[in-house]
Amino acid sequence: MSAKKTGLIFFPAFDWAISPTHPEREERLLYTRDQIFEEGVMDLPQIHEYAPRLASMHDISRTHFCVPRVQSQVTEAHLIAAGSTLQLGDSVINGEIKNGFAMVRPPGHHAMRVVHGNRGFCSINNEAILVEYLRRRHGIRKVAIVDSDAHHGDGTQDIFYHDPDVLFISFHQDGRTIFPGTGFTNELGGPGAYARTLNVPLPPGTADETFMYVVDNLVLPVVRDFQPEIIINSAGQDNHYTDPLGSMRFTARAYADFTRKLKPDLVVLEGGYAIETALPYINLAIILALAGADYSYVMEPDYWPGRFKESPERMSKVHKMVDQLLETWAKRDQVDLQKIFGTGKYYQRKKFIYYDTDYIEEEQLEKVCICPDCPGYILIESRGERNYREPIRIYAISVPFQACNACQNEAYEIYEQYKARAKYDYVYMQDKTTDTCMAFDKKKGQEWMTEG
Amino acid sequence: MYIGIDVGGTCTDAVLLDNGLVRATAIVPSSDDIISSLLQALDQIMKGVPAELIERVVFSTTLITNLIAEKKYDPVGLILIPGPGLSHDHYKYNTATYIIPGAIDYRGREIMPLRYEDIEKAVEDLNNKGYKKVAAVGKFSVRNNKHEKEVASRVKWLHPEWHVEMGHQVAGQLNFPRRAVTTMLTCATREKYSFFVDSVREALTRRGIEGEVFILKADGGTMPLNKVTGVPIETIFSGPAASTLGVQALLPPGETAVVVDIGGTTTDLALILGGQPLLASRGAPVYEQLTQVRALAVKSVPVGGDSLVERVGREILVYSERLGPPYCLGGPMPTPSDALRVLGLTRLGSDKKAHEAMEMLGRPLGMSCSEVAQRVVKMVIDIITQEIEEMFIQWEQEPAYRVWEVLQKRKERPGMVVGVGGGASGFITQIAARIGCNPVIPPYAPVANAIGAAVAMPTLQVSLRADTEQGFYTIEQEGFQGKIEKDPFGEEDALQLANEWLRKRAEKYGLGNMIEKTECTRRDVFTMVRNWITTGRIYDICVQTPRGIVAHIGTGTRGEI
Repeated sequence: MSAKKTGLIFFPAFDWAISPTHPEREERLLYTRDQIFEEGVMDLPQIHEYAPRLASMHDISRTHFCVPRVQSQVTEAHLIAAGSTLQLGDSVINGEIKNGFAMVRPPGHHAMRVVHGNRGFCSINNEAILVEYLRRRHGIRKVAIVDSDAHHGDGTQDIFYHDPDVLFISFHQDGRTIFPGTGFTNELGGPGAYARTLNVPLPPGTADETFMYVVDNLVLPVVRDFQPEIIINSAGQDNHYTDPLGSMRFTARAYADFTRKLKPDLVVLEGGYAIETALPYINLAIILALAGADYSYVMEPDYWPGRFKESPERMSKVHKMVDQLLETWAKRDQVDLQKIFGTGKYYQRKKFIYYDTDYIEEEQLEKVCICPDCPGYILIESRGERNYREPIRIYAISVPFQACNACQNEAYEIYEQYKARAKYDYVYMQDKTTDTCMAFDKKKGQEWMTEG
Repeated sequence: MYIGIDVGGTCTDAVLLDNGLVRATAIVPSSDDIISSLLQALDQIMKGVPAELIERVVFSTTLITNLIAEKKYDPVGLILIPGPGLSHDHYKYNTATYIIPGAIDYRGREIMPLRYEDIEKAVEDLNNKGYKKVAAVGKFSVRNNKHEKEVASRVKWLHPEWHVEMGHQVAGQLNFPRRAVTTMLTCATREKYSFFVDSVREALTRRGIEGEVFILKADGGTMPLNKVTGVPIETIFSGPAASTLGVQALLPPGETAVVVDIGGTTTDLALILGGQPLLASRGAPVYEQLTQVRALAVKSVPVGGDSLVERVGREILVYSERLGPPYCLGGPMPTPSDALRVLGLTRLGSDKKAHEAMEMLGRPLGMSCSEVAQRVVKMVIDIITQEIEEMFIQWEQEPAYRVWEVLQKRKERPGMVVGVGGGASGFITQIAARIGCNPVIPPYAPVANAIGAAVAMPTLQVSLRADTEQGFYTIEQEGFQGKIEKDPFGEEDALQLANEWLRKRAEKYGLGNMIEKTECTRRDVFTMVRNWITTGRIYDICVQTPRGIVAHIGTGTRGEI
């Protein structure tokens, strides 16, 4: 075993809250702090604690289209949470540490490519920002993201839906019973990245046994098969049996078992709002699992082995789903994509996105160019409406880092065309091949550009 | 007039300060009989000064540190109550250790009660092994001391003559393993510490000194001597704090400097940032055991004037061991001091012997004496400058848990390198040149530690944690746990309560006049929401008296005490 340490960044943001009584408030990681400090975790020889750092505005523009600008959507706390994730990413790639855990808030996995506001307590997507950063800074290509939050990681799914080099697996409470209401088995990625998105909606009440079944039989083999250069875990902790927002029955021990089996390079904290009864125990157990230390003494005070019995119907339902997904994964390169996605230059999907935190309604038309040589550029037309205010219309173009020359050129032509159209308040261009981000403000007739 | 005395293992240093000026200094060898060396030092500095004029005496000592290093203390049995969490395999302390079932959580709620039979069994076992000292330490005992108190009272009931120390009384911060170590060391050194205090009192009485008497703590603050018998562990490592404060006093206010104290086998590094010595973000390590003792950030680098230098193949290596004095002083092997002698950077010992030493190293490599000497000095400087840079990086890399803390992080580099200690003069110019600073060897550098003691001021902190939902609060430094009387209890009430405790503490230590100026260093408020209803608040507040020193030497200014 490697003698390298596990890197930790603990950023509880004790002076930041969405509002004083919001679940995403100062208190959220207080008891986690108490537990890990009292245990002396930071003194363990297997642990190295890093200082948080700030992400740059460009790091965020590389991933998101923030409307109208990055500055208007993020607070310093967001920059620190994202920046801390990047710090650990650097340290893992540089070989300073064997793996890392960004125990940070605010979370990010509901933040999509276009950001009109905060949804699901998220403004910017820490994992997605990390992936684009690792690609740009360290030449990483293939990444697996496993989302273990009780809520579907719809933001991460949205951002990588057309990216064949990102495998995104999310298991979560069935979207028919919980925010954001998505994450069903038929959401499998776009034509260029078919089956690189896999969703496992679990029935409410699912306990450890089924959780481990999904991990052992679906998550681990698919991740292994995908052969990623780096594995990221979006570690939401709201599948815990005491979570006030979720209705699942996972234990801290099971979270640690999952971590030990998946061996993620980076774990990024997402949701989890049982701040007393779950978080101190799950966070401690995950840290110990990453460090290769014994976590068998970590136990919730009200838990006893055998407390939760899995119902046979639930189990057989999930077994069937896993079989079906495994088949989809196995045949991913043999399916007739035209039959599923249709023909034509573009594949398009229409989205209606609700920002629950900020009461914004967004209508989006996303088109991806079908290109034989690359994943194709993405065109987004979006209209965000907040209360009775004048809606904001934007047009955004994203050129993936794998883009071919032809796609890149075409994307720039489209950007110039749309700058001239009166319909859009802001026009954006995100060219990941050259790491250039541009934005055009129609009213001011002004263009901004940042380069990495 | 103020007196500062540093009682070290080899030397006892003393200074007499008069209105910010050094009136007299003394360096006398420490003897086993502390009283006689104290008297000798006092007599040297007080020549012609009537004892009534001495307003204040401050001691610093490494005696306790030395006791720990040499393991010259009585065995202490440990009764630990870790409950769930880390594997109990972590709790190995080289002494009889009993882990008994029981648990308290982070809010101070009892999860699992103690059983008397477990305590009694541990005590019986300790008794059979001949232990008479016990440290009782529980996880989260600082949130609820019930279990530790139960253990202590049971032990006392069974063996009234035993000495029992409780974790929450000694180590109030969150960190159970460090609490166990700190409590054990406190328990182990208490008697020896009382002996030191008695010797000091005796010496002062014999010379008729009736001024206030203080002892320096590792964080650079002082405590009245007669009040600290409770926590001797706080005075460990006051040696490095003394020389750092001494440098602070010898520099103009507001400087950013590196303090380099080059001794025989180790070099101690400390930082003064904007005029204030940097505090360590975590407790001091005591011979590889991590404690909760608040201390200045001092880094010990294992290289000094007497370090062994050897040729291995075609390499010349500087080792961390010391085999004896430098060759030029009759020692067995070449050392960096010999190199300095050859380069004319010190007047120490025999020049001829020093040349011999360098020749021994250089001849097989075909290098001249001065080439070898330059190489050796460069190697020492490489080690020290690298550690200085790392110390600054470490400071910049200190964790931050609040947005404002991240945003106020600054990058600072020193303007000067200040040398103290025996080996300083030869190295300091080159160290400073390497990192682009001005070299400074202040006057009185050899007694900087005693000056540091003399100018140190009392400091008091109070950390209050109030949990309005549970209706109780704790005072970290006092091990106190009490009920919140006021309802509703707001942020201002919490701050007021913390300040009241600071006043109480000041009075307890006879420092009532200290608390006119206080500062708040932490003020966290956590709203508790359960089932969508605000059920209470947790206030986490720290107040303290300002840090500082009595006077800057030579400027004639005089602060208030």
